[in-house]
Amino acid sequence: MGIMEDIHQAVVDGNVDAASTGVQSALSSKIDADEILNQALIPAMDLVGRKFGDGEYFIPQVLWAAKAMQGGMERLRPHFAEGRETEKGRIIIGTAKGDIHDIGKNLVGMMLEGAGFKIVDLGVDVDSTRFVEAAQAEKGQIIAISALLTTTMPTMEDVVSLVRERGLSTKVMVGGAPLDQAFCDEIGADAYGTDAVDAVRKAREILGV
Amino acid sequence: MDTGTNTVCTPHFRLLEPNQIERFHHAALRVLEEVGVQVLHKEAVDLLAGHGARVSNGKTVRIPAFLVEDAIASAPSNVLIFDRNGSPAMELGGRRSYFGTGTDLPRTVDLHTREIRDTMEEDIVLSVRISDALPNLDFIGSYGLPRDVPPGLHYIRNAQILMQGSTKPIFFTAESEQDLRVILDMAEALAGGAEALARRPFLINYSEPVSPLTHSEEAVAKLMLCSRNRIPINYTPAMLAGSTGPVTLSGAITVATAEALSGLVIHQLTQKGSPIISGFAATSMDMLKATVSYTSPEFRLTHSACADLFHHYGIPVWGTAGCSDAQYPDLQSGAEYGFTLLNAALDGANLIHDCGYMGQGFVASPEMLVFADEVIAYVKRYMRGFALDPDHLALDVIRNVGPGGHFLGEKHTLDHFRSEHWRPGLFNRENLPNWIQAGKQTLDTRLIDRTREILARHEPCPISDTAREALSRIWDETKARKGDR
Repeated sequence: MGIMEDIHQAVVDGNVDAASTGVQSALSSKIDADEILNQALIPAMDLVGRKFGDGEYFIPQVLWAAKAMQGGMERLRPHFAEGRETEKGRIIIGTAKGDIHDIGKNLVGMMLEGAGFKIVDLGVDVDSTRFVEAAQAEKGQIIAISALLTTTMPTMEDVVSLVRERGLSTKVMVGGAPLDQAFCDEIGADAYGTDAVDAVRKAREILGV
Repeated sequence: MDTGTNTVCTPHFRLLEPNQIERFHHAALRVLEEVGVQVLHKEAVDLLAGHGARVSNGKTVRIPAFLVEDAIASAPSNVLIFDRNGSPAMELGGRRSYFGTGTDLPRTVDLHTREIRDTMEEDIVLSVRISDALPNLDFIGSYGLPRDVPPGLHYIRNAQILMQGSTKPIFFTAESEQDLRVILDMAEALAGGAEALARRPFLINYSEPVSPLTHSEEAVAKLMLCSRNRIPINYTPAMLAGSTGPVTLSGAITVATAEALSGLVIHQLTQKGSPIISGFAATSMDMLKATVSYTSPEFRLTHSACADLFHHYGIPVWGTAGCSDAQYPDLQSGAEYGFTLLNAALDGANLIHDCGYMGQGFVASPEMLVFADEVIAYVKRYMRGFALDPDHLALDVIRNVGPGGHFLGEKHTLDHFRSEHWRPGLFNRENLPNWIQAGKQTLDTRLIDRTREILARHEPCPISDTAREALSRIWDETKARKGDR
């Protein structure tokens, strides 16, 4: 098997070390960084996504594939041309003020990372000002807010108001067990993800990537 | 080294204490000695008399305890059943549980029209195809009484369909000794003779005495034929507490045990060491509707007592589960399938049949076979328990993640999620918005869809042309002979 196939396989298998060393040796054999990205890493993650959609792969396998992809990307990043965009978009993520249930947020964050987004994780119990300021400071294109408790849902509405107030182009994405599309529409958020997979789909949609 | 901790945790259930088992055993022995059983088969009566039983009016046989103890000792504690190709398929013994379908359902819920109508030959064919495809059904029962097959030929036709349609072991009923002989001829044709079939039997006959305490001529004839040919037989009474047995469960268990043990004595006196699956059904008769409940809580209690008794005897034990009193697949049937299948597995019954039964043992439903398979998968996972070794105790991982972290991205999670977590094939775990988006499908429609899918796609392992021809020849001969009569 060629080196590109090895990298592809390492990502599909979720083998972080093999992906990283594979990319390193491809670079040593003078293979172009863009070629490694577009012909090995991205197709591998696409395959993993399809396997997940077909019920063949499960969440832990997708997460490890994403880790392997990241491992490869770290090696690649210094070799890209100046100004070359290596991320699909930047997403500020956190749980709403008053909510420290973060497993849903973590899962969404990891799935987004696996799909090639850069994630800035603000953690738990984040108020609306912090979300918006982080988006401004980090050039976040999306603010993604998760809530499990219904009492913490107002934070989401506050973020939307604050983003509009400051005239930012940042999109707001919401998710969590008590939410639905109607709530999303009501507060004027840009997207609602029914689950982690849907969150990735919606992030791609609203950024057009 | 830790030698004090058992590293696998599994569910345990026993109903009877050892002294209670002894109490039932002694009570059953007293029934056999003091009351006796009716044996309506001359040869069997003579056989029993010749070995020390006391006979009055030519048919009431009082059996001394030593004959019962001898039969318990000589009956094998582990019965091996093979598949049609001669590979080992079931080891009936210990607490190893195997699941399969039942027999003799006269009516069927039509998969397409949803009407309840007479069972037809085509329904037997479909049930075999579905059961062959379902991974958690270990054996296949003869299922129904096809209305479009001439009376007297049902059982033989069913046996032929089963032998042609699946390699899985067969659990079958027969009308008479002559029927049974024809079916054994078919099986011998596939196995390569009587000796080969006895060495690697792939079928089990089901016959029953009549409660209270009566062994009919036909039942005994089948019992003795199987014993002589060393073909496994499941010989179990089906008693109704309150009508064909005492209303109290202890009384019903005592009489049913006496019936099963007296059958065992006839079987072992005919041919010591021949394979038998014993036990009894003792359910309650509904005192308002005069119907037979297949799933009453009393039935589950006597089922557990039966399993405990026959585990104590060291004789493979029958079981029944995955059945419902409801006429039509509904919430009641879901609850009854769940309770009975879990209970039968906890009992450690060996040959658990009747999966897919509806309508108190009168109605078949193809999609309920598929439902039973899903519940059995769940029950198997539950019965497997979990490990308690250092790796599964996961202290290192707990330390590594710490408070406030998460385990989703741990290698430990990746390594163990498949073996540790059961995944449903049909039960819904979709979240609300996704479920709404996907069309709000409920299990009843999903089951019908899956059943149709199986019927459209599944290809059973084909039978050889010579084997098929041999079966056809026997069928044609039998049909001509019976038609002449």
